[in-house]
Amino acid sequence: MTALVRAEWTKLFTTRVWIGLLLGACVLVAGFTALFTAFAGSADDGGGGPGGGGPPLPPVGTPEYEQLALATGANVTVLFLILGIIGTTQEFRHRTATPTFLTTPRRGRVITAKLLAYALAAVPLAVVVIAVNVAVVLVYAGARGDAPELSGDNLRVLAGVGAALVVYTVIGVGVGALVRNQVGAIVGALVYLFVVEAIVQLVPALSDAYKWLPGGALEAMTATIGLTELLEPWQGGLVLLGYGIVAAVLGTLLAVRRDVV
Amino acid sequence: MPWGPPGALGWSRRTADDEESAIHPGSSPDRGPVRVEVRGLSKSFGAVRAVDDLSFSVEPGSITGFLGPNGAGKTTTLRMALGLEQPDAGTATFGGVPYAALPAPVRTVGAVLETAFHPARSGRNHLRVYCRAAGLPPGRADEVLAQVGLADAGRRRAGGYSLGMRQRLALATALLGDPAVLVLDEPANGLDPEGIQWLRGFLRHLAHDEGRTVLVSSHLLAEMEQTADRVVIVGAGRLVREGSIAELRSGAQGSGPVLVRSPQAGRLAEVLSAAGFSVAPDDDGRIAVAGTTPAAVGAQAFRAGLELHELRAESSGLEELYFRLTAGQEQYAAPEGSRP
Repeated sequence: MTALVRAEWTKLFTTRVWIGLLLGACVLVAGFTALFTAFAGSADDGGGGPGGGGPPLPPVGTPEYEQLALATGANVTVLFLILGIIGTTQEFRHRTATPTFLTTPRRGRVITAKLLAYALAAVPLAVVVIAVNVAVVLVYAGARGDAPELSGDNLRVLAGVGAALVVYTVIGVGVGALVRNQVGAIVGALVYLFVVEAIVQLVPALSDAYKWLPGGALEAMTATIGLTELLEPWQGGLVLLGYGIVAAVLGTLLAVRRDVV
Repeated sequence: MPWGPPGALGWSRRTADDEESAIHPGSSPDRGPVRVEVRGLSKSFGAVRAVDDLSFSVEPGSITGFLGPNGAGKTTTLRMALGLEQPDAGTATFGGVPYAALPAPVRTVGAVLETAFHPARSGRNHLRVYCRAAGLPPGRADEVLAQVGLADAGRRRAGGYSLGMRQRLALATALLGDPAVLVLDEPANGLDPEGIQWLRGFLRHLAHDEGRTVLVSSHLLAEMEQTADRVVIVGAGRLVREGSIAELRSGAQGSGPVLVRSPQAGRLAEVLSAAGFSVAPDDDGRIAVAGTTPAAVGAQAFRAGLELHELRAESSGLEELYFRLTAGQEQYAAPEGSRP
């Protein structure tokens, strides 16, 4: 298994997909954090942070501001999801699934190795994203008078963001094994996250279900302005992990049974 | 690209043995011969029976051509044998063991199925991925790159490779584990004449000198005639003929005429008719003599003191047989009238 995990790392780090996604994630996180800090405390619709247009943004120095600003990394889970999706679907897109499964005919081991390799590789990438987020918060909020302390709930939020980034990567690997078509998997994931979940949140009859969906679980794990009722952070973590495991197991089962074409 | 003759790449029994011991440190360099057996393989796609109760075997130390028109089920058969597709029925074994159950598959079987690689990854890194996965030393990537003549291109993005280089990279991937069996699906596609000749020499070396089992699929009889020792001919997913090229050729005899050209064509035709041969002038000013050999025709002409400018057996004898065996079994045949 170690050999297979290392083979997956070689695959991941011998193309430049990960650099592009990591740079994109860092730029987005830095931008969101700066915007959110710039408009912190303003009563108008600031446009920064989730659910802009609702209640006024909490001012710098309050625990609400600090937790929301340090949860900005949660906004780029989608890029980590895409990293995982590309990790599996590129094997089918470029037909390298054939040599991969010829080298390791027990396909379940290949998918398991991929899940492990991407989960582990996502850790340092998540650390980089969180470091960028924290740096911007400390510098900018410090300049506006009150840099947050990295302790207590603030640390809990950061740990939640890190865990969410890793779990979303794993979900991506599983989704990729299920869907196999790269464009289809990415478009499907984006539509789900930004259209389907948004609708579920808005429709009163469905909004109770939102807390059980990946997006709701993610918000529970990190921090949110809070329009909808959410689970406890640890429950959100478990729900998200559950989605990761379901996607991985389904992806593995299907990869084992389907013909490689 | 350095495309030398086989000798220029430094092959010999010795280097092959050295590689072997490099892969299995401390183990014996002997690699036992491995026989491939296909028994009753069948697979349908919807209503189309792609492979229909197909059985054949592939012997070590020889090149077996897997021959059939496009759509005859060759690729599906190979993919089923290698565990990539699930057969509806039947088995394929390598030395008695199904592919998926081999303890170290890439060390037993190397397969070139399609030119599959990530375009942004270099050829060398592509090979290193599979070295890692198979537990081979990473240096093996450079060895096989040199073996297929890609050493200089190894660090370039594989997406920039020519078609011929891609085929070589696919072959290098198959050679990583120094396998006893090589399975190649249409490996000559995209190779230029020089590349085809190189491939031919390479496969002969692997089979005849190193005793490996080589199975090559192709839809071109002429290519297989020059490369293979034995052929397995399939049409519409069924076995049509299995045997050596020589056996096939003797079976084809009589179907192809001897073509002879002479400045004294009229006289020659009379002589041959008088000797009991069936003679017909062909469109090209030659005489076609049915049911005989070039030697018999030459002897007649010599006895009559007639000058000959050309004397040969119509090589389409085998081609004719292949065509007859597989006629109408292409998946997408051109309408009758359009056939030349």
